[in-house]
Amino acid sequence: MQGAAQARKYRLQGAGLDLALPYLMLAPGLMIVLGVLVYPLWDGLRASTRAYRYGSPISDVGLQNYVHLWSDTQFLNALWITVKFVALSVSFEAVLGFALALFCLREFRGIRLLRTVLIIPMVITPVVVAIVFRLIYASDAGMLTALSEAIGGGEAQILGNPLNAFIGLVVLDVWEWTPLMFLILLAGLQSLPHEPFEAARVDGAGAWRVFADLTFPMMRPVLAVAIVLRTIDAFGTFDQVFVLTRGGPGEATRLISIYGYDTAFKFQQTGYAAALFVTIGLVVLALAFSAIRLLRRIDAS
Amino acid sequence: MMHSSRLTRRSVIKGGLGLALATTALTTLGLPMPARAAGKKVIIGAFADGGLTPFKQKIIPLAKEQGFDIEFLEDEYGVTLEKWFADAQSGAGQYDLYLLDDPWVPQFGAANVLEDLGAGGIDGADKDWIGSMIDMGYWPPQQGPRVKGFESAKSTLICVPFVGDLQTLTYRNDVFTGGAPKTWDEVIAKGKEGVAAGKIKYPVVFRGVSGNPIVTSWYPVFLSFGGSFFDDKWNPIFNSAEGKASADFFVGTMKQNAPSGVVEFDSDQEGAAILGGEAGAIIQYSGNALKADDPAQTKVAGKLDFGVVPSQAKAIAQMGIFIAGVPKAAPNKANAIEFLKWYVSAETQAKLSEAGSIPVKRSAFGIAKPGNRLIPVALKQLDAGALPRPRTPDWAKVEELLGIELNKALQAGSGGGAALDTAAKQVKDYLTTAGYY
Repeated sequence: MQGAAQARKYRLQGAGLDLALPYLMLAPGLMIVLGVLVYPLWDGLRASTRAYRYGSPISDVGLQNYVHLWSDTQFLNALWITVKFVALSVSFEAVLGFALALFCLREFRGIRLLRTVLIIPMVITPVVVAIVFRLIYASDAGMLTALSEAIGGGEAQILGNPLNAFIGLVVLDVWEWTPLMFLILLAGLQSLPHEPFEAARVDGAGAWRVFADLTFPMMRPVLAVAIVLRTIDAFGTFDQVFVLTRGGPGEATRLISIYGYDTAFKFQQTGYAAALFVTIGLVVLALAFSAIRLLRRIDAS
Repeated sequence: MMHSSRLTRRSVIKGGLGLALATTALTTLGLPMPARAAGKKVIIGAFADGGLTPFKQKIIPLAKEQGFDIEFLEDEYGVTLEKWFADAQSGAGQYDLYLLDDPWVPQFGAANVLEDLGAGGIDGADKDWIGSMIDMGYWPPQQGPRVKGFESAKSTLICVPFVGDLQTLTYRNDVFTGGAPKTWDEVIAKGKEGVAAGKIKYPVVFRGVSGNPIVTSWYPVFLSFGGSFFDDKWNPIFNSAEGKASADFFVGTMKQNAPSGVVEFDSDQEGAAILGGEAGAIIQYSGNALKADDPAQTKVAGKLDFGVVPSQAKAIAQMGIFIAGVPKAAPNKANAIEFLKWYVSAETQAKLSEAGSIPVKRSAFGIAKPGNRLIPVALKQLDAGALPRPRTPDWAKVEELLGIELNKALQAGSGGGAALDTAAKQVKDYLTTAGYY
């Protein structure tokens, strides 16, 4: 008995303390992670299984909020608009970003300045970008209308027409976020090995051949990472739409983030909004995991 | 080198003690103290609107003279409801007073987050109130249908009217030379003559943006055509024959006589069109109307007059008053209530009227020199008829559903009646799931 107590004391003072020490040192960090990441997530999940009335929870409804989402035409419409917006914006950004990165890979006079200028849109606050585009698009006093009238045309109808407003939003996003693609892809291009390209040049390969057989295959993993990052980010687009169109005209630009915001804060359907955001979170997670698996397969091949 | 008069802990304590002693001595001797020293701090949250300009410019300085230390925090209209509701519900206590838009009162009332101002000593039964305005401060409503769960609840004064905003007509007196147009048909017919004469570009202009803006613009047309929104059991009846006629007129005739981009117009573009001299007539709240005589803010100063809203069946405007509520979590609750008592007194209301803002007490409409030509017209409109929006905590969602459909019809330039049918079904479905029936 006394031997066991001695052993416990030894464990606590010696090897036991050694074992516990890392956990003790991790504890503050773990507490912070639990507080700022795990608890809000848990709270959001819990809210998504409740019905709220006038901002307060009134009953547990299990998965009813999740089930109801799939018969909510406004949600489905917002989801479809978001998918179209993300697909179009990210595609354009990838193509333009790649083209710009290839162009800026060359060394010529003024290239450093050009590279700096190209990333300016990305560092401007999204709300400011939206205000600027509103001044461009406004039919009564916008820059496009002024241009149109200067060449003898009528008022430019962007924000009052569903298709034009949607395209206008995509243009804004492409203008603002192509620089991110450009930056990632330029870094990728600069890190490619030189030897294969020199060998190709010696063999007399043309520019297109070099791009198709060397540059693009070698850049695929970087491109995939850039697309995944931007896709996840684009799903959460909010500020620009909030300022530019508020989701209109009609519901033409009502992205899922705007619908979720209105549902949670304007209509006070807190539980339903939580279910909506959990669902979208899961969709984005699924996308990210699929992209990572795809990347691994590309790497393996 | 050490500075000879450096700040030490000892010197700070000495100074603090000296200051405290001096203050106490002055107070004991009955000498007047500066107003700020009274410490009656009141943090007011408001949304940016021209209707509050006279309050900011003339009334806040008066309040400071009374010893109130006013902190006036402004936000864009589109974010204030959610911001303040979150503040009130979480008990964050960032504000002492919210200047709400009146349709928000039911939401705050149902959530039970505002102080009982009647218990705080504000007399809701004072005969000097404009009756339709003070009614909006009660939750549940003193009269009319009540939503489920509040049928037998005691009606409590949770807000007091702050600025008596309501819709009136602003028109060009060089286009409508015989005075304010009496009907909507006259607005269009005379407006077209004004366009032909090169005086204006459009007979009318309004807000077409989806949601609250378009519903706000359509509502007085709807009321003037004789429409009613809900029956006394909360069934939507806005798609009645009268309602459909108003919506068809709104998305058809009115759109054809408005700027081509009206679908995307909100109050800023609407105001720019009338103040810039392009439009012949407009239904608006007091914010832009207060700029009508200021040459710095309008190109047509002297050419803008006011009248009651045009009638088809009757001339009824939509109320849109600023209404003040004190959150239960207010850090300076007593100061806020004291400030409100001072603000709604007949004397201060008379000052508000002199400053050019629409008061909330009837006596203030009768002062010798109201600060704005709009004030007597506002009283005329109140007496002709002005209604609040339906008093339900779910108005924001109802307005959103209706606003989207109206906006779609406005884009098409036709189909207002069908839009109301679609919206009525959506509203009925929504209220069913919300437990209204």
